[in-house]
Amino acid sequence: MTKTLRLLGAGLVTALLVTSCGSSAGSSDDGVELKMVESLTNPARTAVLKGLIEDFEAANPGTTVDLISPPTNSADQKIQQMLQSKKGIDVLEVRDTTVGPFTANGWLRDLAPDLKGWAGWADMTQQAVDYAQGEDGTWYIPYGFYGLSLFYRKDLVEKAGFAGPPASWDELLQQASAIQDPDAGTYGYAFRGGTNGNGNLVTAIEAYVADDLDKANAFKTTDGKSIFAAPEALTAAQTYFDLFEKASPPSSVAWGYPEMVEGFSNGSTAFLLQDPEVIATVGQSTAIKPDQWGTAPLLVGPTGKAAQPVATAGWGMSASTEHAAEATKLIEFLSSGEASTTFTKENSLVPILTSAASDPYYSEGPWASYVTMTNAPDTYLSVIQPRNVDWWTEWTQKADGDVQRVITGDMTPAELLAGWDAYWVEKWAAA
Amino acid sequence: MGGRVTTPETIARRPAAGPRPGSGRGAAPRRAFTGRRALTILAFLAPAAVFVGIFTYYPLLTGAQMAFRDWNLSNFTDASWVGLDNFRTVLHDPVLPGVLRNTVIWVVGSLVPQFVIGFAIALWLRRHFRFRGLYQALIFYPWAVSGFLIGILFRWMFNGEFGVVNDLLEKVGLIDSPVPWLAQPSTAMVAVLIANIWYGVTFFAIMILAALQSVPDEILEAAALDGAGRTRTLLQIVVPYIRITLTVTVLLRVIWIFNFPDIIYGMTGGGPADKTHIVTTWLIQVTQRGDYGVAAAIGLMVLVVLLMFSVFYLLALRERGVKR
Repeated sequence: MTKTLRLLGAGLVTALLVTSCGSSAGSSDDGVELKMVESLTNPARTAVLKGLIEDFEAANPGTTVDLISPPTNSADQKIQQMLQSKKGIDVLEVRDTTVGPFTANGWLRDLAPDLKGWAGWADMTQQAVDYAQGEDGTWYIPYGFYGLSLFYRKDLVEKAGFAGPPASWDELLQQASAIQDPDAGTYGYAFRGGTNGNGNLVTAIEAYVADDLDKANAFKTTDGKSIFAAPEALTAAQTYFDLFEKASPPSSVAWGYPEMVEGFSNGSTAFLLQDPEVIATVGQSTAIKPDQWGTAPLLVGPTGKAAQPVATAGWGMSASTEHAAEATKLIEFLSSGEASTTFTKENSLVPILTSAASDPYYSEGPWASYVTMTNAPDTYLSVIQPRNVDWWTEWTQKADGDVQRVITGDMTPAELLAGWDAYWVEKWAAA
Repeated sequence: MGGRVTTPETIARRPAAGPRPGSGRGAAPRRAFTGRRALTILAFLAPAAVFVGIFTYYPLLTGAQMAFRDWNLSNFTDASWVGLDNFRTVLHDPVLPGVLRNTVIWVVGSLVPQFVIGFAIALWLRRHFRFRGLYQALIFYPWAVSGFLIGILFRWMFNGEFGVVNDLLEKVGLIDSPVPWLAQPSTAMVAVLIANIWYGVTFFAIMILAALQSVPDEILEAAALDGAGRTRTLLQIVVPYIRITLTVTVLLRVIWIFNFPDIIYGMTGGGPADKTHIVTTWLIQVTQRGDYGVAAAIGLMVLVVLLMFSVFYLLALRERGVKR
């Protein structure tokens, strides 16, 4: 019997060992350990972040930071599970697309009281302050901004007989069509038909309705209707889909971010509409030399205006944190001074600090187009898309599918716009 | 040729050469089933039962109850019970008919070539030749690679402009201009099927080879002596002998292929325009937009369909076995 009991005991111990949970995070005898989790993980960025965290730890003895870096594809789900369990997370990367659901569930801490009187606000651009201080609370401090510019091949534009890069969507169609030569393996435009393929079409539509655009909700015109119902939207959509028909690689129906960037970097496409983070990638290309490419401001519509749909992410705090004071210090550290500048430079982001404007890094070379856009706010309207709504992911899935349906002939541009208009009108009515 | 052929059944009827269980040397006396023995058995079973209970059945039941609640990322604080609403949402989704059609094409289009090619490879590997071990390792290699990684690799291989597939086909003169494989509804499914066939052939090859190696040489020699040709030996001796392995392997593969979104997700994400969406890639898409209640409903429906398929499949095969 003793033998049997011993065996039973061994079995139970094994089961308990196998199924036991990890130890809980938090304070140790030596000080406080903050759990921090990032979302848009990539190895280079994580290395930069770890360097900054070391600087923070050196400046704040007694506080250590454990950085968790889940793979980007599943990071937001992982963060969501951690937030839902109400433990194991103090500081997190909040994106403009996740802030909506995260706050709706009460998972984020309103930073307004913690950051009251913080000196760092003074050095922040108005755009960063606007994004940080929302109507219902301060849920995160942006670490930088993503914004579109046109990457173009100087040599191909010149060879096709044009004096300079296109300034408008119409000119882009004209130049890209002239450059397109599939037999030679050269294509005009790196079309995005795959994941997030709807984004550039919406940008085109916003440029065409720019005069009547509601800047605070760039999916609406000033009369309260959706931009997709405006007559100009159809012209924009037709021009955009013409870009695919006449000036893009046929396989770009399925192109997502990596294929677009590869298409430009390997020299096969002449134009690419992308965020500044691509500057570093294209700079490393061995297929095209630095003097062969440049960036131009975002394309304007028929009335000479463009709408820059700003995308952002930043550092926030979980509502369940037990170390709010230390977490606030970490967020302040990352959002100001040298740490912020290092992070935006190393990750090719539009900076959040006003002091960065005087840095030659941002005023020369490929970054110059961003300065041009910043200096002409009446031409390049900085607008906010409703990316924080709960249904944003549902919307992008639907919209991406519809873009592919038009390209593959299952839908017309007019049907697409009617569907998008109906979708948003219904959502706004229910909200 | 055409004479009386030795079959597994006739072999089974012959007197066994070795000692019979329970008789003669080496046979253990039957032990009495006591409470103590029951406890011992339970002690050995307990860890596995606890493990399976916690990691399989608990999540399964939790997921199942989500299917009957309004479990949405937009508001977890009010996950009220909604009865069969999530199932109605799934059944009324306009994407569903296409998804079901694609799933059937995906399962049948993957399974049949995987089985045929896998069987052929297993027959080939059963023979003795130089570097057989190396060939085996090379052929079994795909099974060790992550499905999602395979998806990404094939996505670049089938890329219309920079992909190696078009390059090779152009060089051998099969195509004149690049084919946008993943961009055309007509070719996207073909491309994902090719990737999955490449991946899954290995499993059949491994399983069938193992089964073939269990066929005793004496049966094959007896069949040869009886004048059976290669085809007849294969169909009337080998296949019946490894029938159980084939049955289980096919059943497992149907379930796995049905539940295998990795390659499609990596290659096309279900596109273009949902043309390669199967039930499980669709489930991922629904999960990503935070509709966990609807996703759980899809998952539960998949579970029921596969359970029903397994039961009917096994019953049908059992019936065939009995009739023989």
